[in-house]
Amino acid sequence: MTKQNTLREIERKTYMSYHQDGLIDIVIGLYALAFGLGIVIDRLFDLSFASIMPAILIAIVLPIWIQAKRKITMPRIGYVNIGTKGSSKLFALLLGLMVAGFGVLFLFTMATAQNGRPVWIDTIFEYGMIVVGLGSAVIGSLFAYTMGLKRLHGYGLLTLALFVSGHFLSVPFEYLLLVIGSVIIASGAALLVQFTRRYPLQKGAPDNGAQ
Amino acid sequence: MAPSDEGIQNIDRLIHEPSRLTIMMHLYVVESADFQFLQHQTAMTPGNLSSHLRKLEDAGYVEVTKEFVDRTPHTALKLTRKGRDAFKQYRRNVKQFIDKLPE
Repeated sequence: MTKQNTLREIERKTYMSYHQDGLIDIVIGLYALAFGLGIVIDRLFDLSFASIMPAILIAIVLPIWIQAKRKITMPRIGYVNIGTKGSSKLFALLLGLMVAGFGVLFLFTMATAQNGRPVWIDTIFEYGMIVVGLGSAVIGSLFAYTMGLKRLHGYGLLTLALFVSGHFLSVPFEYLLLVIGSVIIASGAALLVQFTRRYPLQKGAPDNGAQ
Repeated sequence: MAPSDEGIQNIDRLIHEPSRLTIMMHLYVVESADFQFLQHQTAMTPGNLSSHLRKLEDAGYVEVTKEFVDRTPHTALKLTRKGRDAFKQYRRNVKQFIDKLPE
């Protein structure tokens, strides 16, 4: 292995070690679960709760995630500041996804505004669940590659498999989201338990950097 | 002096020691880390890590900041500009030296 590859490997391991606690999985699972619940509530009470759910979740889940990192992860494995190099790749991906999202939205708006809706729009709506599943698998893979977390490939593939099955078995979208969210939360919780067992809290003064 | 000997002379011996090289590599890929994190990543004992860090600190390669967070000691570690440059130079020198070696 060359020195350059070794450094990349260390960089990847450093990044991964900070996400082995399963907290990011719990956050992703909570998003899927809450979004699914939002749609169920909307259907039951004729509301539009699901549309504001992402904003509500960012306001609630993000501070909890930061606190959990401080209270659970840092006392066990210490603190690392990855710096701009690691976060810039993730930022670029998020920006790219946002631009792509707006692009798709623009394309849809333009296409539906015309007289006589194009056939491809109807096809997309007809196979909406498969399209969403494929999109999730691609996004999951992009995040897995950027963050070096291989299990995100698995979540993407699980979403694809469930949505494809859901399309053919006519299972409502929101129920699939509830299942996906629950599975990802359970996986995150298992990782969290594993993490806390592997790195128990040290009693007394844990830092031994005294010279 | 043979050309290969000249190459060896250019290699920074302080960094070349395996434990210190491991520390330098781990600190090179991050902005900063604390003692506990570095210990987990390098799998070194606290005493060993502390002793190598002292040598790197004395050379001006590593900046060590000690503080108390929630009444527990916390040691923050960071490669200095000099440390980063020295590591880059070390990599160049090792590569040059190995490239010059006959097959």
